[in-house]
Amino acid sequence: MRALVTGANGFLGRHVVAALLARGVEVRALVRPAARVDALGWPSSVDVFRADLRSSRDLGGAFAGVDVALHLAAVVSGGEDAQFAGTVAGTERLLEAMAASACRRLVLCSTFSVYDFSSTRGVLDEDSPLHKTPDVYARDGYTISKWWQERVTRRFAQEHGFDLTVLRPGFIWGRDHGYLAALGQQFGRHHLVIGPLTRMPMTHVENCADVFALAATDPRARGQTLNVVDGPGERIWTYLSDYMRGSGERGLRVPVPYWLAISAVRLAYATVFRSATKVPSVLIPRRLESRLKPLRFENRRLREILGWTPPLDYEQCLARTYGPEPAAAVESGDRGRDHPLLKLSNDQALRA
Amino acid sequence: MKAALIGAGAIAKQHLSCLKTLPGVELAAVCDLSPATAEAAAERYGVRSWFTDHRVMLETARPDVVHVATPPTAHFRPALDSLDAGAHVIVEKPATPAFEQLETLVKRAKESGRCFVEDYNYLFNPAPQEILRRIESGEFGAVTHVEAFICLDILGPDGFADPNSPHPALALSGGAIADFLPHLASLAHLFVGACRGAETVWTKRKPSILPYDEFRALVNAERGTAMLGFSASSQPDAFWLRVYGERMQATANLWETRLTFDGPRNVPKPLRPFFSGLEEGKTIRRAALATLLRKFKGPGSYEGLWDLLARTYRALGDGSAPPVTANEVLEVNRMVEALKPKEQRA
Repeated sequence: MRALVTGANGFLGRHVVAALLARGVEVRALVRPAARVDALGWPSSVDVFRADLRSSRDLGGAFAGVDVALHLAAVVSGGEDAQFAGTVAGTERLLEAMAASACRRLVLCSTFSVYDFSSTRGVLDEDSPLHKTPDVYARDGYTISKWWQERVTRRFAQEHGFDLTVLRPGFIWGRDHGYLAALGQQFGRHHLVIGPLTRMPMTHVENCADVFALAATDPRARGQTLNVVDGPGERIWTYLSDYMRGSGERGLRVPVPYWLAISAVRLAYATVFRSATKVPSVLIPRRLESRLKPLRFENRRLREILGWTPPLDYEQCLARTYGPEPAAAVESGDRGRDHPLLKLSNDQALRA
Repeated sequence: MKAALIGAGAIAKQHLSCLKTLPGVELAAVCDLSPATAEAAAERYGVRSWFTDHRVMLETARPDVVHVATPPTAHFRPALDSLDAGAHVIVEKPATPAFEQLETLVKRAKESGRCFVEDYNYLFNPAPQEILRRIESGEFGAVTHVEAFICLDILGPDGFADPNSPHPALALSGGAIADFLPHLASLAHLFVGACRGAETVWTKRKPSILPYDEFRALVNAERGTAMLGFSASSQPDAFWLRVYGERMQATANLWETRLTFDGPRNVPKPLRPFFSGLEEGKTIRRAALATLLRKFKGPGSYEGLWDLLARTYRALGDGSAPPVTANEVLEVNRMVEALKPKEQRA
């Protein structure tokens, strides 16, 4: 089996490449023309295809001989327009090329951000309501572009008969990406921790990558939409403590109950900021909810349909994220020794 | 009046947001090569229809005014087709990469009795308008010289210097800086008139894919002189405008709300700098607060674009001259031509 991975040198992408290789899948890695891939240590079997989804003329070649495409590429920095152009228009160009090829199997990396947290009560799962138009345009640029990316992809899938799997990861964390937006509001090195006992929808990057590799190779994933979290998630206070310990960052942590924070923000929004056009996200009630609303998150459908359990537990993930030797940390763990992800050589795991 | 927009990318947001607020303007259609971009703009701004082919849009929606906001190298064809379809055209700057194309558009507009407006938004920001008001009242005295200088870091990998996806402005003579020449030239033209000649210095200070990252020019114009410049290395980001009159001098940062005047005072001459300094400090403190509050509401430094569009639609409605005439567009672009790097002049 040969897989095309877009955004292959990104934070998640490089781990997805490793997870696919671990499952014996041949990989074609689509990276931008100026991307440096030497440091990633990919084996020579990885076929590097250089293109930019925003502008490259010939994307058709990327699909030659490809059985499954994993579309991870997205623009997550810059202004709202840059994100939309890169993520959504780029997806249109990619899927036009795919439609013209023989490849019909597609795995899309979506996000929890497509859910309307404000309308969700209790448990957030795959049946929870999504944003609707035109309300979605009041959200941040990342949410708008990822919501549109999924919309565009589903339309293409329907029109061209793609076998589509949509994976929606929660907050992805890992080495050099320990800080999460769900941790509250940072002021320099100090933290305002909103709802410290709330559990976060989180997935370690290597666990998340394992789901992508599994979904690409397991026929049971076809046609499915699955949330990707490692479990019920850690409490914000606990994770922030581990983050600060692991990263060596020092600062004050001031806990604020969620109900107090959202009430204050709603009051400020109703009285001062309603008509304002440029307000920090944390002062907009719906955006605050999407980052911090205390809901329960689970991966029941992922477990039931694909029989997936995370290969790394939380302690192992902490070791992989903050410890000196990721491979050594895995080998010292008690769980998941037989999992394909953990069968990587030390060298491969280090590169991943 | 039915308005349509071609090119629903970055600057389109300002056009559409403004058009939604103008009385008597119906947002009839939006067009972009990307279907999702066109549809998203239509949903977001309540535009009645969206298209991916501008010719189909012109034929179907039959707009009275077309805003062309595609990348600068892709302005000419949609602008020409819009004029041929009987619409007035408001085009983003730079209007065309080559002066001959601009002449063609202006000629076609004149032949068909339509307006052709290039977006010189900074002319309509409050600061240049206040300076203009004082000039017209005689308080400022005749303008002898104007300086317009942009300090903007365009060397980051996400914008003009993106090594992965070449920015369309890099196809212009002068590269990314050419994207800003109409701003500089239009301000010079506003205060000292048409260009008679220019001396320019184009240099590259830091390694990047940009052909140039520094630009200076001294312009000999009809009513005075102008010093224009762009620096990608000088920080912080600012757009300085300084106008020298026979009685007063004005200084403004067009990306903020700061505008100060220095002129004659009814105090003994040795005390003039003291009182001028006090007043300038007070003005700058007020402007600092206004700049902060502006971040929460409205178009920010694009307020001039909103004013330009409002004036243009009023003029189209009552048949008066638009705030930017076709002759002014030609004169500003003649100055832009004189400013381009000599070895690459189009």
